[in-house]
Amino acid sequence: MNVPQVKCVATMVAAVLLIAAGLTHAGAAEQKSTAHMKIALSNFYAGNSWRQALLKSWSDTASQAMKDHIIGETKIVNADNSAIQQSSQIESLIVEGYNAIVVDPISTTAINGAMEDACNAGVIVVVFNETATVSCAYHIITDYVEDGRLQAKFLGEHLKGPANILEIRGVAGTSADVDMHNGLADGLKTYPNIKIVGAVYGNWTQTVAQKEVAGILPSLPPVQGVATQGGDGWGAYQAFNAAGRPAPIIVMGNRQDELALWKTLVEKDPNYQTFSVSSTPSSSEVAFWVAQQILAGRHVPKTMNLPVTTIYKNDLDAWLKITPVGSLALTLFDQSWTETLIEAANTGKPAPDAPSPFLSAQ
Amino acid sequence: MKALAARLRERRWVWSFAGALVVWLITVISAGGRGAGATLTAGLGFAAFYVMAGMGQMLVVAAGPGNIDLSIPAVMTLAGYLAIGAMHGDPSMLWLGIVVVLAVGGSVGLINVGLIKIARVPPMVATLSAGFIMQSITIAYSKTTTAKPPGILMQFAVGRTMGIPWIAIVLIVAAAILGLVMSRSVFGRDLLAVGQSERAAYLAGIPTRRITTIVYVASSLLAAVTGLLLAAYSGGAALDMSSDFLLMSIAVVVIGGTSITGGRVSAAGIWGGSLFLYLMSTMLNVLGLGAGVRYGLTGVIIIAVLALSEDHAPI
Repeated sequence: MNVPQVKCVATMVAAVLLIAAGLTHAGAAEQKSTAHMKIALSNFYAGNSWRQALLKSWSDTASQAMKDHIIGETKIVNADNSAIQQSSQIESLIVEGYNAIVVDPISTTAINGAMEDACNAGVIVVVFNETATVSCAYHIITDYVEDGRLQAKFLGEHLKGPANILEIRGVAGTSADVDMHNGLADGLKTYPNIKIVGAVYGNWTQTVAQKEVAGILPSLPPVQGVATQGGDGWGAYQAFNAAGRPAPIIVMGNRQDELALWKTLVEKDPNYQTFSVSSTPSSSEVAFWVAQQILAGRHVPKTMNLPVTTIYKNDLDAWLKITPVGSLALTLFDQSWTETLIEAANTGKPAPDAPSPFLSAQ
Repeated sequence: MKALAARLRERRWVWSFAGALVVWLITVISAGGRGAGATLTAGLGFAAFYVMAGMGQMLVVAAGPGNIDLSIPAVMTLAGYLAIGAMHGDPSMLWLGIVVVLAVGGSVGLINVGLIKIARVPPMVATLSAGFIMQSITIAYSKTTTAKPPGILMQFAVGRTMGIPWIAIVLIVAAAILGLVMSRSVFGRDLLAVGQSERAAYLAGIPTRRITTIVYVASSLLAAVTGLLLAAYSGGAALDMSSDFLLMSIAVVVIGGTSITGGRVSAAGIWGGSLFLYLMSTMLNVLGLGAGVRYGLTGVIIIAVLALSEDHAPI
């Protein structure tokens, strides 16, 4: 091989390498612009503080993204606890030309038809918070099973020896309720001394939980722990208090009134033990960014898990300081966190921890 | 025997109390005798709230076919929020809370009447849409504040003497008075006449429009008071605090023996219906049945009580 030939080959190899590098680069970072695209949220219920936080989280994120010219248009539609209404709202979003529809589905099956119509019309569908069995959609699954398991673990570790617990369930028939229940039952297998002596449906509602717990309590033996699903901790405490029973370990659900109650209980008795766990309504923010990333051409797996937000004793004061009255502890899932989540899911790693809102402050 | 049957037909509310007694006994037996009294105490306390809202619903339903108040839960939540917010935990501002409750109840009642009588909107649609508007106002307002109720109001709402909640005593007296008003007063007779046939009542010289106005305003006022007391009972107002009152306010009235098509009422039955429904949910909890079985049984038991209390004479 003479020198010019070597030179020529070397140049060609270099050129090929350069082109390849350029291509890889384009694949990883250069995304399609979504500045002209429209993303809508279809939600099925708006009547409690958790849902209000979910909607606020979306509108804050989406309107900022519009200002930053990341997306062109957004819209929220609420179905009043009706599957038919949610279906018809999704159908009209398709007609209005939305590029992506983010759906908190009322049922695991009832609105699948509408979502399939959306997929067939070329619309990106992202399901979050509750689950649906529709196969063409992307699914962001809040890890409610883990929520139940964490409760079992905490109760198991802090209730030594034989103990009775009361389980407050959520809305019968929802996937979130079933998952939390299964997680709890599964986690408690490790602690055969702990027995669930009663279960009520509190509908994730303070007044309903209070009413149901007050009803079952007289017929129960002493109860040392209460497993909850969020929004029911304060009501459960009221019922125990009214019955003249000492406060058991009531797992809190990240609502401000529950955190404040926890603080009061610790002030009364420094040995009082509990923790707080709940899914976070800012999952709507993750869902927004996931939809945006898909539209931008990023590869996103069909299913991703979202961690729950836990609060332990050491962080209670810090959370109380930043949680407004009437609201609940919000983890802020911003665009960069969502990208970490997608990256982890693409490479088969576990989901990153929920970001702590006061790490930067510390 | 015939006389007994006739008396039972007059007193349909007996069946709701009988139902309440049966489910209470099953609860106590399945719990091995534990907490018999305490179950009843809890039952009286929570049933009192259903009774309060149910009395208003009964007056509206009595006014004849189609009359129904679906704005009750929305009025409750709005009144609870605004009144608790106005008092801001200050017992000396109790008067302001009461004024707010009366203002909310009175104005929603008048809006309902206006929609039904002047705009000619069917009551079901009118009260439901008025309720939606109130719900939107509540959601907007709830973003600004949530206060704790004044201590004195909380003490009243949860107070009890010898296991009987004060709020239940007040509502037993109130239901008794309502029963007398319906059976003895001119207003009660007029209302039943309107409920049986509005046209006939009008021709007979009964001021039908005034009667309708009174019942809708009374229903909203009672709902507003219920909202305030429920907020006080559970330590503050919440957006979803009255979520089960839409169905319950109607169910307790009907199970208690009031005719859904108007013209026949039972004030005592509201207590029977409320106790029955509350204790039934307790019983199903204590029996520890799965959600599906619970819903099924609830339906079957309610149908049984309604069937027992109806006339069996061939039509």
